[in-house]
Amino acid sequence: MPDYALMNQRVFEGDRESVAEMTRAALEAGRPPLEVLEDGLIAAMRVVGEDFKYNRIFVPEVLLAARAMKAGMAVLQPLLTSSEGDSSAGTIVLGTVKGDLHDIGKNLVGMMAEGAGFQIVDLGTNTSAEEFIAAVREHRADILGMSALLTTTMVYMKTVVDEMRAAGLEHVRICVGGAPISQAYADEIGAHGYAADAGSAVQLFKRLVAPSAPPA
Amino acid sequence: MRPHLKMLERSLIERILDETFTVLESTGILIDSPAGFERLRELGLPGDDATRRVTFPRSTVERAIADAPSAFTLFDRSGEPFTELAGDRVHFVPASSALRILDRSSGEPRDATSADFVEYARVADRLAHIAYLSTAFIPKDVPSDIADGWRLYLALATSEKPVVSGAFTSHGVPRMAEMMSLFRRDREDLAARPNSIFTCCPSTPLRWAEDAIQNLLDCAGWGIPIEVVPVLLLGMISPATTVGALVLHSAEVLSGLTIAQLVRPGTPVLFGGAPASFHMQLMTNPMTAVEALQVYCGYAAIAKHLGLPCQAYMGLSDSKLNDPQAGAESGMGMLLAALAGFNSVSGPGMLDYVNCFSLEKLVFDDELAAHALRFTRPVEVKDDLPTRPLLDELLRENHLLTAEHTLERWPEELYLPGPMIDRTNWEQWDLQGRPDSTARAGELIETALEDYDVPPLDPALDAEIRRLFSSTCNEPGVELPALVERR
Repeated sequence: MPDYALMNQRVFEGDRESVAEMTRAALEAGRPPLEVLEDGLIAAMRVVGEDFKYNRIFVPEVLLAARAMKAGMAVLQPLLTSSEGDSSAGTIVLGTVKGDLHDIGKNLVGMMAEGAGFQIVDLGTNTSAEEFIAAVREHRADILGMSALLTTTMVYMKTVVDEMRAAGLEHVRICVGGAPISQAYADEIGAHGYAADAGSAVQLFKRLVAPSAPPA
Repeated sequence: MRPHLKMLERSLIERILDETFTVLESTGILIDSPAGFERLRELGLPGDDATRRVTFPRSTVERAIADAPSAFTLFDRSGEPFTELAGDRVHFVPASSALRILDRSSGEPRDATSADFVEYARVADRLAHIAYLSTAFIPKDVPSDIADGWRLYLALATSEKPVVSGAFTSHGVPRMAEMMSLFRRDREDLAARPNSIFTCCPSTPLRWAEDAIQNLLDCAGWGIPIEVVPVLLLGMISPATTVGALVLHSAEVLSGLTIAQLVRPGTPVLFGGAPASFHMQLMTNPMTAVEALQVYCGYAAIAKHLGLPCQAYMGLSDSKLNDPQAGAESGMGMLLAALAGFNSVSGPGMLDYVNCFSLEKLVFDDELAAHALRFTRPVEVKDDLPTRPLLDELLRENHLLTAEHTLERWPEELYLPGPMIDRTNWEQWDLQGRPDSTARAGELIETALEDYDVPPLDPALDAEIRRLFSSTCNEPGVELPALVERR
């Protein structure tokens, strides 16, 4: 039986090489990939999430752990069936809206969400509605996350929401964030969620992809 | 290099000191006590019977400055070295001797009890950036003639840390010194391993009152470290201008220092002070006035020029509440005090012209102290020159959050304040129930009280101290309050 407690510890410490090696060893010992994923990697990230929530660890440690988990995932990915492969938390397409070149907050959301097990497709800055829609379709995204820093560019979020609907993508949850954005604005433009910071964005994503989440 | 405040050119310091020596040598100091006056004459200071002024020959003062230690160690209750007052090493300490406290429930000032003091001492003992304690306020539930020593007893019984204290009457020091010596082998051991700094205040201008001169002589006799604290009022009992005020201030401090060295060469003396302005309209004495702050930082420069440790009443506020004024005045004072390199900064916790002590403010000031101390850390190269490799990594990765340099350095470099400095965003703060600083301070106070774990005094020692108070107080046999905190 693999030492999953030690593997969790290596994920926690951000030791990429050890995590990849232990993942390979577990598979060679005949353990099912899903078990390795759940007990070796995701269990560790749950502890990371809790420790971050209670200020026992900080952003760099979370990102390091996420990177170690990703190293393990790279070993597992080819062996997971399509449905198993999708059993990670979900896929999120992220981008800063057209006309806006600010991306620090959006990048942080991406990194933290990746740390929580989401697959991130980051479209960068100055992203048009067409680019968002194409990426959502291509990656079969569960969530579209948009960011804006300027009051002059935030209005483009409504354009994206409208065009997503027009494109028949109502089932995809749309989340918005950025300094000038508020819950009221999210409600006004018909987005499904708003988060004020990277930490609460991850919680929002988890709520939106939970099986009990209300239909979009 | 440690960030430092440069207040005065060396040449100006020398001119100020020249004038100070002249004032001491020619004008001298009024000793408002026949016994004190005689004692100073016995110690060799020239005195005029008619005016009861003593003068201080320059050579005597210069010898006293040379005899006074440039640094000294404070010891804890059990006699272990606790901290050294030296160089630019800064300690923040609760301010002393408030008449009232700000009630935590009502937010109104009221008289304090011994239980309030125990609560304060337990909290202060736990605060990471409050270096040691003071006898911060005066409990009113004991006879007033023992209130000075009683405060010190409460502090010693509650915390092992050193205490800044002082006596209220001319006979106060010996009783307090006797009590402190019970924690040591004998009187000389107390002088060798002091646990306390005593405040002695000349009466501006150029006068030592009866109680104060006796306290000064007694402290020096016992070898208790002394902070000499003149209280100038700029424009009223001091020149309104900074240089003139510094001459007067220095003359008063050096008179105390010289007397202490004549009594017992080597007695530690802090070049202290609590200069205030005089408000020409309200007739109040703002201690946090901007011109007073300049006097503070000026005399710190003089003390450092003379190689003496220094003390200040900074980090307090004249506001009546823990409001924006209190935060601004305290923060400004504490940062300046740290930059000036004051070794002992009395101020945290204090409001209303040193009349009212607030435990919530003390908790808030503990955080300000952390900020001020953090700011004065030396700026050094830390694997960041050359910088290009770091910038290359930043441009490659888009961030440095997981860079080896960040991982190694950020815990030391990026200070995470405690709850008194709100760094949440609006939504997080809203989720927490929108706690204001008073509510957050209340939580920290409760946590500190729960974490308190200082061993109690040995019962025999405790009983002996209580006997000392009950036998020497003006109300013999008075029932003294139990050592309980107010909950």
